Amino acid sequence: MRKIFGIFVVLTLVAGTVLFAGGPARVGAQGGGTIEATVTYAGAPVVEKLKVNKDTEKCGTEALIEKVVVGAGKGLANAVVSVAGAKGPSTAKKASVDQKGCKFTPHVVAMTAGELEIKNSDDILHNVHTYSTANPSINKAQPKFKKTMTEKFEKPEIIKLTCDVHSWMLGWIAVMPHPFFGVTDGNGAAKIENVPPGKQTVEVWHETLGKATKEVEVKAGQTTKVAIEMKK
Amino acid sequence: MRAGAFGSIVLAIIGLLLHAGTAGAQGGDAAAGKSVYEKKCALCHGDKGDGKGAAADLLVPKPRDFTTGVYKIRTTASKAPTDQDLFKIITDGMPGTSMPPWAVLPERDRWNLVAYIKTFAAEKFKEAPKKLELPKEVASSPESLKRGKEMFEAIECHKCHGTDGRADGPSRPELKDEWGTPIAPANLTKAWTFRGGASRTDVATRLANGILGTPMPTFLDSVEKPEDIWHVTNYVLSLGPGTVKYATLVTVTAVSDAIPDDPNAELWKTIAPSHIPLMGQVIVDPRNFNPSIDMVSVRAVYNDKEIAFHLTWDDPTQSVEDAAKKTFADAISLQFPPKITADTERPYFLMGDASDAAYLLRWVGGTGVGEATANGPTKIAPIAGGEATGKAVWANGQYRLVMRRPLDGKAGTRPTFQPAVFASVAFQAWDGGAGETGTKMSLTSWYYLRLEEPQSNRRFVLPPLVAVLTLAAMVLVVRVASRPRAK
Repeated sequence: MRKIFGIFVVLTLVAGTVLFAGGPARVGAQGGGTIEATVTYAGAPVVEKLKVNKDTEKCGTEALIEKVVVGAGKGLANAVVSVAGAKGPSTAKKASVDQKGCKFTPHVVAMTAGELEIKNSDDILHNVHTYSTANPSINKAQPKFKKTMTEKFEKPEIIKLTCDVHSWMLGWIAVMPHPFFGVTDGNGAAKIENVPPGKQTVEVWHETLGKATKEVEVKAGQTTKVAIEMKK
Repeated sequence: MRAGAFGSIVLAIIGLLLHAGTAGAQGGDAAAGKSVYEKKCALCHGDKGDGKGAAADLLVPKPRDFTTGVYKIRTTASKAPTDQDLFKIITDGMPGTSMPPWAVLPERDRWNLVAYIKTFAAEKFKEAPKKLELPKEVASSPESLKRGKEMFEAIECHKCHGTDGRADGPSRPELKDEWGTPIAPANLTKAWTFRGGASRTDVATRLANGILGTPMPTFLDSVEKPEDIWHVTNYVLSLGPGTVKYATLVTVTAVSDAIPDDPNAELWKTIAPSHIPLMGQVIVDPRNFNPSIDMVSVRAVYNDKEIAFHLTWDDPTQSVEDAAKKTFADAISLQFPPKITADTERPYFLMGDASDAAYLLRWVGGTGVGEATANGPTKIAPIAGGEATGKAVWANGQYRLVMRRPLDGKAGTRPTFQPAVFASVAFQAWDGGAGETGTKMSLTSWYYLRLEEPQSNRRFVLPPLVAVLTLAAMVLVVRVASRPRAK
């Protein structure tokens, strides 16, 4: 009797742990599907050029402000692709953005709520200046000797990131409410894994071109391809 | 018994006074503040507190938009300022901006205003303010200044504020506030223009806390050691004189040697400067409501042949006429009546008029020193055969200029300078890099200038001579007195 009770307790604990730790993400891991999105833009790239008058050893002599980056096959880079309305836990991996060559790398960093590591690989002063409404905005100096700092972003929001010392520096922090997101690469491709099966809405956000959505049917264990064209 | 009653009355009065004081500090009456606001503040800050009052378009920096709840000057680690912070700005104003000190208003009104302006962004003031904790204070000393300079360079203050702190850093032209309006960095050599005050604590707080809504970031966790905040503060305050005393008279010192053209020559360091404040020209169109140059420091000397003026003024960019960049030549001029006599009637201070001309001794970037006759700000004619020469240098956001010419104006349109006669002088300056040209200038009204009388060598001869003669006379008197009287 006692033995049976013991086994029951252990089973309950195990089951509970699995269920608790699982949630939608774990469901995805076991029975989720994959979305492979391709974001395209038929228009021309938008790149502003600026002559650099300081720190040219680090920043180069000409700065590019890349507002729309279009790669092979009209693929649109730097777009955040996500599953609209989804719920899920934070990802364990700490997001990171670097200031290198007077550019934010990556240009768009997507993360779930939590800490963001901000690096300064340039050996010159940058100031990390965010424009946000849901999260407290920050404007912190990051001199050459402060190689890394960590900032917390608790609320979902897309935040503009700038540096006043180098006015052309522009980046974005996309704080997402769930882990089902990706950022398009140079060819406009992004992959989202472990998406809960069923009808889902894929949402695209781009800093210059705005938002677009498309409905998809996600099947467990399968890859769903979706093509989304952004318009001006 | 009577003494006891008297004592308790005194205590009660003190208690009442104290109570009134704290009540004021803790909370004004927003409704009462509204009526004061509408009379005194709305013209710039707008009826709705959105910074869009009737005068707003003319002002740089722009009036605060209270609906954002973002305030530059705060002593809190949280985003909102304390009531005391707001009260201080209302009371002291913001030096270097259009915000005047309102100490003329009763204290009660000022607290009521604090309560009222908070209502424009009430949700921003919900949380209790958290006081910013500064590191342990470090007094200024040669060691502290040395460390401060080191850290000033390491954290690259010069990127915006310039190597010598004159707001001429390479990032200056790119700076914008959070609403996209261009914003200038502080000129660290002019502490009297610091928006939030120039005390050591004020400066350390701005450095540690940043200035909200502007490019100035927080440095509290971005120096090598916490006490570096104080070392940099001490260094920043050592960059300028702290306070300025404006002159009303320019004295021209007599020298016996030749006068050097070089603005960095030793002679100029021995002459005390007269600081002259300049204002924007707002009489004729196009007007200059936000002048770039707010002060010129004047040193002047003369010898038996020449008079020379050494001018120093801050200008963040060295610029010449360039249509593509929309810049103009930097320029400065000294203005005199064409004739200097004790009873001269002066021409109109704004560069004369059609009937009475003014004489200008001027320097224009890319052109050099020259003389001109002006019949108003748009009618300037160079004087043929002018004899003025000089040299200008620009370094780290500052011009230094020497202009000299013969004392004798040889009649006509050029004044002759004579010792001990009061002459009238006025100043005009243009920062071409800020788009100033023509009537868009900084200027002064008439000031006085006086050539001190030359000190002759007679002072070395006459007093000893008088002393010797007096001694001789005394000896004579004593001799005569002590001689035995003849019978």
